[in-house]
Amino acid sequence: MAKWKKWLAVALCMGLTVSLTGCGEKQKASDETIVIRILENDTAKKEGYLDALLQAFNEAYKDKGIQAVDANMEEYTDLAANGPYGYGPDVLYQANDKLMTYAEDKHILPIDIEKLDCYAVTPEVAWDAFKINIDGATYTCGIPVNIQEPMLFYRLDKLPEDWETTWDKDNNKVADFLENWNDLYAYSKYLRDNDTSQNKNAQYGFMSSMNNLYLNGEFLLSYGAYVFGSNSDGTLNAADIGFSAGDSAKGLMAMKQMAALMNEGCIDDTITMNRYEKLADGTYFCAVSTPDTYSLFIEKLALTYESEGLTAKAAEEKAKQNLMMVELPGKLPADGDLTKDSASMSDSDWVDTVVMGGVNGYGISSYTKYRDACLEFVNFATSYEMIQTRMNLLGIAPTRSDVASESGGVTDMIFSSLAEGRIYLMPSIKAVDQIWVPTHTLMGDVAKDPYRKAAGETEKYTSLDDMLAALKKVDKDIYDAVFTLKK
Amino acid sequence: MKKQLDSIVTHIVLIAVCILFAFPVLWLVLASFSKSGSIYDIDGFFPDQYSLASYRRLFTDTTMYDYPNWLGNTLYVAVFSSLIGTVLVILTAYTISRFQFKARKLLMKSTLILSMFPSFMGMTAVYLLMVNFGLINQLWSLILIYAAGAPMGYLVQKGYFDTISNTIYEAARIDGASNITIFLKVTLPLAKPMLVYTALTQFAWPWSDFILPNLLLKNKDLWTVAVGLTHLDETQFTRFAAGAVFIAVPIVILYFALSKFLVMGVSSGAVKE
Amino acid sequence: MNKNKSSYIVFASRVLMGAGQLLSKQWIKGMLYLTLFGAYLVYMVFAGVKDMIGFFTLGTVKGDAWLGIQGDDSIIMLLRGILMFFITGMFVMVHLSNVRDAKMTASRLNAGKELPGFLQAVKTYVDKKFYVIALVLPVIGVLVFNVLPIVFMILIAFTNYGGDIVPPELVDWIGLGNFKTVLGLTEIKGTFFKILGWNFVWAMVATAVNYFGGLGLALLLNKKCVKGKAFWRMFPILAYAVPGFITLLGFKFMFSYGGPINYYITMQGHHAIGFLDIDAGWTARIIGIAVNAWITIPTSMLLATGILSNMNADLYDAASIDGATKWKQFTKITLPFVIFSTTPVLISSFTGNFNNFGIFYFLRGGLYNEGYFLASDTDLLINWLYNLSIDNNYYGIGAAISLIIFIITSIFSLQVYVRSDAYKKEDTYR
Repeated sequence: MAKWKKWLAVALCMGLTVSLTGCGEKQKASDETIVIRILENDTAKKEGYLDALLQAFNEAYKDKGIQAVDANMEEYTDLAANGPYGYGPDVLYQANDKLMTYAEDKHILPIDIEKLDCYAVTPEVAWDAFKINIDGATYTCGIPVNIQEPMLFYRLDKLPEDWETTWDKDNNKVADFLENWNDLYAYSKYLRDNDTSQNKNAQYGFMSSMNNLYLNGEFLLSYGAYVFGSNSDGTLNAADIGFSAGDSAKGLMAMKQMAALMNEGCIDDTITMNRYEKLADGTYFCAVSTPDTYSLFIEKLALTYESEGLTAKAAEEKAKQNLMMVELPGKLPADGDLTKDSASMSDSDWVDTVVMGGVNGYGISSYTKYRDACLEFVNFATSYEMIQTRMNLLGIAPTRSDVASESGGVTDMIFSSLAEGRIYLMPSIKAVDQIWVPTHTLMGDVAKDPYRKAAGETEKYTSLDDMLAALKKVDKDIYDAVFTLKK
Repeated sequence: MKKQLDSIVTHIVLIAVCILFAFPVLWLVLASFSKSGSIYDIDGFFPDQYSLASYRRLFTDTTMYDYPNWLGNTLYVAVFSSLIGTVLVILTAYTISRFQFKARKLLMKSTLILSMFPSFMGMTAVYLLMVNFGLINQLWSLILIYAAGAPMGYLVQKGYFDTISNTIYEAARIDGASNITIFLKVTLPLAKPMLVYTALTQFAWPWSDFILPNLLLKNKDLWTVAVGLTHLDETQFTRFAAGAVFIAVPIVILYFALSKFLVMGVSSGAVKE
Repeated sequence: MNKNKSSYIVFASRVLMGAGQLLSKQWIKGMLYLTLFGAYLVYMVFAGVKDMIGFFTLGTVKGDAWLGIQGDDSIIMLLRGILMFFITGMFVMVHLSNVRDAKMTASRLNAGKELPGFLQAVKTYVDKKFYVIALVLPVIGVLVFNVLPIVFMILIAFTNYGGDIVPPELVDWIGLGNFKTVLGLTEIKGTFFKILGWNFVWAMVATAVNYFGGLGLALLLNKKCVKGKAFWRMFPILAYAVPGFITLLGFKFMFSYGGPINYYITMQGHHAIGFLDIDAGWTARIIGIAVNAWITIPTSMLLATGILSNMNADLYDAASIDGATKWKQFTKITLPFVIFSTTPVLISSFTGNFNNFGIFYFLRGGLYNEGYFLASDTDLLINWLYNLSIDNNYYGIGAAISLIIFIITSIFSLQVYVRSDAYKKEDTYR
């Protein structure tokens, strides 16, 4: 009986899956205009993309009586708290892990994705980020828009003048320190060693707030660590936590070496906050950040050029020419030792860099009165033209293969990284909320080790065993946080 | 000689204490005038170059962060919360101080206990309550909550009324005045300093609170300054500082204008000997 | 009128609100009571009964947003149930007042006195029972916005609300289940006592620092040799005017690795200091106490200034004639007076500090220390409670722990308050 009921529910759900149905007929019957509220992120609003999108949509759907407006809410608005009472948006743009926690409680609708324009041109892995298994059936609850992953930002005009002769050993016209971590380490060390300023604090190489798992996940994930394992049916198993899996202890060793070439700012959020200014003024050679902060780097860099005497317009032009955003170096040393000379290493001495990332996309609130209109909207918003506009205005890396390949360059590279599994997508379950504090604690602690040594204190993490024990504790802490109060 | 030494030591300590209090504020104020628009490129505490740019942006660049609008909302909420809240607190404190009735001690004890609850879950309840009554996205629902919660802090005011001698009331009573007349014609004029103190504290609370408005105001156009500031980008520290300074100014001015009353008011808040 | 008739009036008003008044021809009053009764009846029929049932079942139909099934929202039902009991409670009070009024009427009639007109009755009532009229609005406000949420929270502690069981799932009553879970978690006991110990130290030190800091500052300003008191007082007030959360964020940055303090330290060629990082321990605790003092001393200074200005100067004169030292004057005269006058403030300041969530959440959030179960060494019970349950959405358990914390603090505070002179002898000084 229970089973029969379940099947009925599944069948009903399937039937109700929102699907494009030559919409509008039923809605047009009533003369009133349908108004749907769209929640976009702040950057899209600030850079004018949201206005462009709404204008284009409203123009195209004038005759069908659908009007899209800005929901005018906070970008991280919690749909679970507001939606059921009618205070949420109709359509929302958020990260896959956030959207999928809504899906677990059915706060966002399953979508019949095959009817969408973007279906065929979006890779399977991007759709997978929005899949959920409920009562034995799989649903897709979001429409991917763009990929988020940590990127390396640097100033073209700060590349060493002799980079082609000194820093391009394989002569492939790409500086080695943008290709592998050992050379990035070597170049950072070179910069540090040649810092002639009084307090030795004027030039740094690679900079990142090491306590941030999202920005520095490659030190663990590239070495076989994972966040949550899978059950036999493919669903995620929150009890299987794998930060200590594989050789992640080696990765942590590499991270510690890298941290030693920064300053104490890598222990807390300092670098995350000052990277824009310090990169612009040349103190940091390169820093890690996400693609959506591109415009902030430009803004600060333009200010630097302006203070050097350029006009505002010329300064911005120059900033756009010189600010480079690339993927993190693709190769990490398999043994976790960054100090080795890359020339002496063979292919098998490397592992591919795997970064932590996410897919941002649209979801449709289950509490909307106009499901069809919302679907029309997301279909419109993920169309070729709109995604292209979005990319041009916001510098995002789209999940649509046609837009990505046409624009080429970094955008296309990010796209292939996703398709080829070099981006570890943030798991889409609620338990993911509990991974941050334990990893944040450990990574900050490891990053502090070199500075303990410098201050004459004893180091906490000197061997692989120390690292492994600490990682196991992280796994246990996460497990405890998720399961202690679960009956 | 000894007196002079004492005076010198006193002033040295005073200056030290005042620096301790003024310095972080000064830091915030000067940061808000920083030309670069950021605090992270300032070497040490103070910027090299100053400009009014942060303030100009605060009031003109309103597409994302509509500070003038937030300011208006905050003012509306704070003024009305203060007015209604003050009436309720004064009424409560006066009644509990002046009249003897059965539930009096019970009321006093229970307010003390009530104020001891850790308030996390309470917030959920307030949110659901407002949802239930359809009062989300209404500025006056904030006023309602602030004003309704105000009588909980009646103790200081009650202490003040405790110091007013009963003979004044009794004299009025013999003259045939009713209790309402006494309250309006005798008590309120006597309580002027306390009224000022209460109005000020009732004003300052909504003026800087961000938890409640963040919970109840979903529409960005309705945000108050405190909510808006918490949503500023991490890179906008100077703008944040500018917003914070600007919101502090009215309170400082009010305090100065009323500081005489204030000290009188609080002074009477204790049980008088 | 005979005795029979008058007892009939009382009986009638017992049965039907306002009937007694109508029988004794007090039309307006009777109609008012009757209308209230009608209103309550309408409420009960259209919502009240349903809400009462909902309070006990906490919902029977599970919603499904995909299918568009508007299920029962257990939490809203709980809330409406509480509201129903509140309204019923108020109705009972009104009913009792109606019976009391009928009795009064009856005795007046028995004594052969004339009944007052409606307006006259209102006028007398307002004057005689001024405290009722004055307290009605404040009490209702506090009941709805302070008491109701607390009752809600207490009741939540007896449900399985939280974790996976959030709407649209249906919540159920589980009795003492949450308390059993909390007390049965052996692995958290060590951490609980560690945190409890620090929590008490924190609450006492923080309260003492704020209190004596404010008092000391006030005494300093009160000295005869200090001129321009308003000017000096300006500085602490500046500190008061900046909203608290902004202050906390500012201090956090000031003490961070990239903050101005470390800038000067490294400029001198020293190593940067992790004031608030994982190893900070007592440094972070002391910074927390200092920052808390910075935020609260201005208010306690104002309070102390006022109290001191109220003190009788004769006391000091007598003392100095007796040859008492300054210190002795302070401990024997000033301090007892001030403490006597501010006991309630002191108690609420203690409990406020005991449950001070913001300080360490803002200054040093997001750390788990070695030897602590999902907590850092600066976390107070309230922060730990937040980590364990609210942050994890375990509302039921969170409420249960809050209730335990509340019982500890309230018993302590109430004892102190009831024993204090300020409570026992409040009228002595009129």
